[in-house]
Amino acid sequence: MTTHEEEIDDVSLLGSSDETLAIGLEPKKKLGFGFWLSAFWVVLIALLAILAPILPIKDPSENYIVTETAENLRGDLVEKPVQPPYPLSGKHLLGTDKDARDMLSRTIFGARISLAVGFITAFLGLAIGGSLGMLAGYFKGWLDKIISALFLVSLSFPGLILAILVVSLLDRSLWTISITIGILAIAPVGRLARAQTITFAEREFVIAAETLGAKRSRIILREMLPNVLIPMATLSMLVVAIAIVAEGALAFLGLSVQKTATWGKLILTGSDMNSLESAPWIAFVPIAFLFFTVAALNYMSDRLRDYFDVREMYDL
Amino acid sequence: MTGSATILMLERCMTYKADEEHPLLVLEDYRIGFKTERGLAKAVDGVSLSLKRGQTLGIVGESGSGKTVLNRGVIGLLSARNTVESGSAKFEGEELVGENRQTFWGTKMAMIFQDPMTSLNPVMKVGNQVMEPLRQHQKLSRSEAKKRVADIFTLVGIPEPIKRLDQYPHELSGGMRQRVMIAIALAIEPDLLIADEPTTSLDVTVQKYILDLLTRVQKEQGMSMVLITHDLGVARGRADEILVMYGGRVMEHASTEDLFKKMSHPYTSALFSSIPHLHHKKHTRLTPIPGTPPDIIEPPTGCRFAPRCTYAQERCLLESPPMTHQGNHRFACFFPIGSQQGQEALTRNQQRGHTASGLQIRKKTEAT
Amino acid sequence: MITFAAMNILGDPLFNILGPVAGDVDNPESVKIIEEAKEQYYLDKSLPERYVRWAGDFVTGDFGVRFSATGQPPVTNLIKERFPRTLQLMIMAQLIAVGLAIPWAVTAASRANSKTDKTSTVTAFAFVSLPNFALAVILFYVFSIRLDWMPDVYTATDPFWGFTHDHRLIQTLLPALTLGLGGAAAYQRLLRTDLITTLQEDFILMARSKGVSRRKVLYKHALRPSLFSLITVLAINISYMIGGALVVETFFRIPGLGTAVVEAVLREDFPVVLAIVMIVAAAFMVFNYLADLLYGVIDPRVRSQEKESESSFNRLWKAQKNLEVDEKVNIQTIEASS
Repeated sequence: MTTHEEEIDDVSLLGSSDETLAIGLEPKKKLGFGFWLSAFWVVLIALLAILAPILPIKDPSENYIVTETAENLRGDLVEKPVQPPYPLSGKHLLGTDKDARDMLSRTIFGARISLAVGFITAFLGLAIGGSLGMLAGYFKGWLDKIISALFLVSLSFPGLILAILVVSLLDRSLWTISITIGILAIAPVGRLARAQTITFAEREFVIAAETLGAKRSRIILREMLPNVLIPMATLSMLVVAIAIVAEGALAFLGLSVQKTATWGKLILTGSDMNSLESAPWIAFVPIAFLFFTVAALNYMSDRLRDYFDVREMYDL
Repeated sequence: MTGSATILMLERCMTYKADEEHPLLVLEDYRIGFKTERGLAKAVDGVSLSLKRGQTLGIVGESGSGKTVLNRGVIGLLSARNTVESGSAKFEGEELVGENRQTFWGTKMAMIFQDPMTSLNPVMKVGNQVMEPLRQHQKLSRSEAKKRVADIFTLVGIPEPIKRLDQYPHELSGGMRQRVMIAIALAIEPDLLIADEPTTSLDVTVQKYILDLLTRVQKEQGMSMVLITHDLGVARGRADEILVMYGGRVMEHASTEDLFKKMSHPYTSALFSSIPHLHHKKHTRLTPIPGTPPDIIEPPTGCRFAPRCTYAQERCLLESPPMTHQGNHRFACFFPIGSQQGQEALTRNQQRGHTASGLQIRKKTEAT
Repeated sequence: MITFAAMNILGDPLFNILGPVAGDVDNPESVKIIEEAKEQYYLDKSLPERYVRWAGDFVTGDFGVRFSATGQPPVTNLIKERFPRTLQLMIMAQLIAVGLAIPWAVTAASRANSKTDKTSTVTAFAFVSLPNFALAVILFYVFSIRLDWMPDVYTATDPFWGFTHDHRLIQTLLPALTLGLGGAAAYQRLLRTDLITTLQEDFILMARSKGVSRRKVLYKHALRPSLFSLITVLAINISYMIGGALVVETFFRIPGLGTAVVEAVLREDFPVVLAIVMIVAAAFMVFNYLADLLYGVIDPRVRSQEKESESSFNRLWKAQKNLEVDEKVNIQTIEASS
């Protein structure tokens, strides 16, 4: 019983006495092994996705039906097709789906769209959101009020529903979807950019530049951009992760890009009762890929934030 | 606290009577260290003391002297994971070191913290906070407890006690909050009350009231009190005995009267000189103690205070002075004030212009 | 109040998009229907007037008759039918989320940096990173197929209260769990941080010195002040959870508002979409306001401050700013439930 109690006792039940405060462990500021592992994964997936067409993997749309000798009704030996889906094997590293399409290659090809959406979204969010945020933060006044109000409205509304709405009204191409999700990403990025800009606008080096008569645009570009970029880079990784998830959700609902399969779509096809019961890997392979990618991005964003100590820059 | 535990405690109380003969709290070579990256921080480095029933012990020292850690250690509130406790601390004859002290909290020991704003739960009504130990340990019903708390509030001088019961800490003034804290201690009726800088965050008029209150309560309940302060003046008026701490060690320990009559340790004297006194003429320059507190992870060999002491000699840097006992007055110094060695040491330093540790000495010393 | 206006402004472009399109979708064969539609939607009147009238209708609960190829029942009925189911799902999900998060966070915070804590941090991270549709599949696989603890189908006509597979209470359990786990993880992370901060305060030490047991200190003294960020996030999270509910409903085949929206979108049935979207917006506003109120109840310090008049917009704005302190978690929360 003593050990149990001692455990709970642990959390700094020390109060704020001067003496005890002075004794502390400095948090380590390395990025850590996990970070590089995650980064490795993300880069790997991205490369696989980009290079997919020329990789030595099977064709994602071809049906690799295998035949075997068996007796037919009349007792003759014939070649009969083996009913897919096929489990993991030497020929199909991650198995096949119901139509005997190789899962590994389908997943890799699926990555192309999923990741593409992710990065386009992040890019949009950064470019537009970042710019708007910086403008709002630097110039303040009514410009700030308008932009902030826009941000607030955007943030306050469940994005998925809006996305569904837009997707339903327009076509379902890669670009439409990316832009839709991208527009939703503008607000969070923009808000952060604005907060950062406001903090930095008051720092000395900016005021120094202003007094020297530097043009405003120059100030924004030269002085603030580099400082604002770091936390935005951290955030953008998160944005990519969220975008991938959002696209996945849309696909799962049947509302994503039409022609090719994305991860969400793959998961969907693998999730009906029959498949799950007999061939769970059809769903779990894309799930695994999705999870690892998103987790990796999240983790990287976490570590970056700790490393650059972004948190303390949030005070307005 | 189960029934059997209570019975055990009662038994112990009956077999051991803390009175004039047997002290309530005895510490022997008590040490507390914190594990850190750089090593063990020896916050309390061998403190011995003895406290009798009904007595007030004043512990005086700067921040970093170990006084707060000492008391939190004795009462047992330090986190077990990073602390190393050794030596002996006996409460009513029972060894505390290495034992879980939860049974004492809220029953026999109570503590008053320095800042009443942060020590009271901001989202709990004040009345409930005082009632809590009553209901838990003394098993009072809600209405009984309420009445008792109202009575205690009146006792400590909180006006409109019934109304106050339902108020929150931020609705009360600083002085009131501290009175609430004392009320909590009173309600418990402890044998030992540890008051950690109870008046530091209050203004002077309230200070006096609070300290008077504490003394009154103490007399009425026969409670022993440890009064921690950095202000020697405060200790003077209220404590029976004073313990001066520095760098985790005891520098001087005597009855209040003796201490001020015959201040022996240079540190005590320096402390005394650094605060204003009524008899000072206007614009008298105060003498702050130069230097900074020692590194407790790798303390210097020799006397802890040597780097800042005007009496310091070579010996002080090499050897750690043992406790010299003069009746009930003890101090740890090779060259105490008022003694022949001390005088010679001081003169030597004044002549060469600096102490053995390199501290500059101005030829003119300030009269106090 | 300004939020309210903002919501309405949002509704306006929606309506503008949908109004004319709704008009296009009308069956051109029957002139009579067109005429009726025109009247229903005030298409013959000017745009602003159309909007005002529509808003008025909306508030009074008349969502208009849908004109769709399949001739479904009126929108109002549809919503009346489906709304409670979605509501049940979301309430259960939030209960699970909070119910899990609190003990989880308390245990983790009280043993900060120990093995227990590190494990739970990793677990929370995992749940936050896994999108809810993926989680749905996994949970379904484990509980329904392999273990058969949970029923496979959700039947709208089944009675609700009861504990067999034929009662909707159990049927909703797994979907609610899916939604709730993600939320629980996000809440846990937030709560844990706040708890750790609170546990460093003097009054915790004080409580202990009064002899209060560890458990009581954790739940009675430490928890309450730490709940603030959580409450704010809770309210905002509800609106995001609506998006998540959509996915979960689709997968588990629960005929609720979420599936209604998806079906309507696929059917290009805009009045329905519009109506549901506006309901979501309204619900969001309500919940935010509730969060504000709740905040006042829990933190007595806030109550005294309310004497200074603050518009609710400013408070919302402040709440958003508080969230910015842990922006990460906010986004994680979005992730977990979108």
